Amino acid sequence: MSCADPIGFEALVAYWLDELQSADAQTLEQHLFGCRQCAGRLEWIAALADGVRAVVRAGALGMVVSAPFVEAMKRAGLRLREYQLEPGASVNCTIRSDEDAVVSRVRATLSGVERVDVLHRVTIGGVEQPEVRVEDVPFDPATGEILLIPPAAALKAMPAHIVRTRLVAVREAGEAPIGDYTFMHSAQ
Amino acid sequence: MPRDSTIDALDDGALARRIAGAGATPDSAAEAELYRRLAPRVRLYGLRHLRERAAAADLVQQVLLMTIERLRAGEVREPERIASFVLGASRMTVLEMRRGSRRRDELLDAWGGGEEAFEAPEPLALDPDRLAGCLERLSERERSVVVMSFFAEKPADEVGGELGITGGNVRVIRHRALGRLRECMGETP
Repeated sequence: MSCADPIGFEALVAYWLDELQSADAQTLEQHLFGCRQCAGRLEWIAALADGVRAVVRAGALGMVVSAPFVEAMKRAGLRLREYQLEPGASVNCTIRSDEDAVVSRVRATLSGVERVDVLHRVTIGGVEQPEVRVEDVPFDPATGEILLIPPAAALKAMPAHIVRTRLVAVREAGEAPIGDYTFMHSAQ
Repeated sequence: MPRDSTIDALDDGALARRIAGAGATPDSAAEAELYRRLAPRVRLYGLRHLRERAAAADLVQQVLLMTIERLRAGEVREPERIASFVLGASRMTVLEMRRGSRRRDELLDAWGGGEEAFEAPEPLALDPDRLAGCLERLSERERSVVVMSFFAEKPADEVGGELGITGGNVRVIRHRALGRLRECMGETP
């Protein structure tokens, strides 16, 4: 079953994500239909896509995403709760058992900012947990917001707590806070 | 049905020739083996072009039952090039399915509703807990790019447009992230 001229993994990914020119995609398909080995490697990529959808649906993953991704989650039938916070704001928040994810849209002035780190400080029952730093989160400066999705499964299992989140612009000269946000989470 | 061990050694074209040359009594073992081999490839083609599991499953049934019928009837001119025949049939059927559900229903009635049942291998499924753990180990930016690329199957330029970076940059991040994911998941490069 070995293939004398296997298709590169990157080309298979590009094919699956519809990045190839039509003629290149058709040539690749011709090979795939005659080659069990390369078709098997494409099957792994298809399984990865299924797996990613399953993990997102299960709320098993914390993510930083884009607004169009949130719309894609809605189109896929996921039930979302959304909060939008300006710098300095706080919000009473929760997640119900029948909801799939909470999306926090934290707004900030991001123009000219190249790297943002997110710092989280969680307080449970009056006891502050060690600070967690998430480095170099993805964002589009033009949107003026960063979309945070905590892992829903873990969030549902947590008691009432407070999360203090700080966005920090990181530059060579040092770092500077660009927004503080407080989430007062009540358990359902 | 017990598997005919001699059949494993045959390539796809030889299997197709056996089916075509079986005469009045269908070669059930060769038909089942050809279906088993080609079903994953047709399913992947269907998923890639239709992006829907049920539609891809319909495609497998329609294309492969039609192919076997044509082989039995001696209507496939070059059985040794059966993979090309099945690809062509898949392309035509996807076009028909896109024309509308009525036409799709007609195709299903014609080629998918018969008494014959062939078994296709179960699609590969990754362990979700292990995948979640491996995604968790990626950097935030890598994780975002992988999830945004594969959740709704979006090309790099589109993901880049959503994140304020170039498509080339997304491809670099994606390449690195997939390398780490494959290693973490025990997938042989």
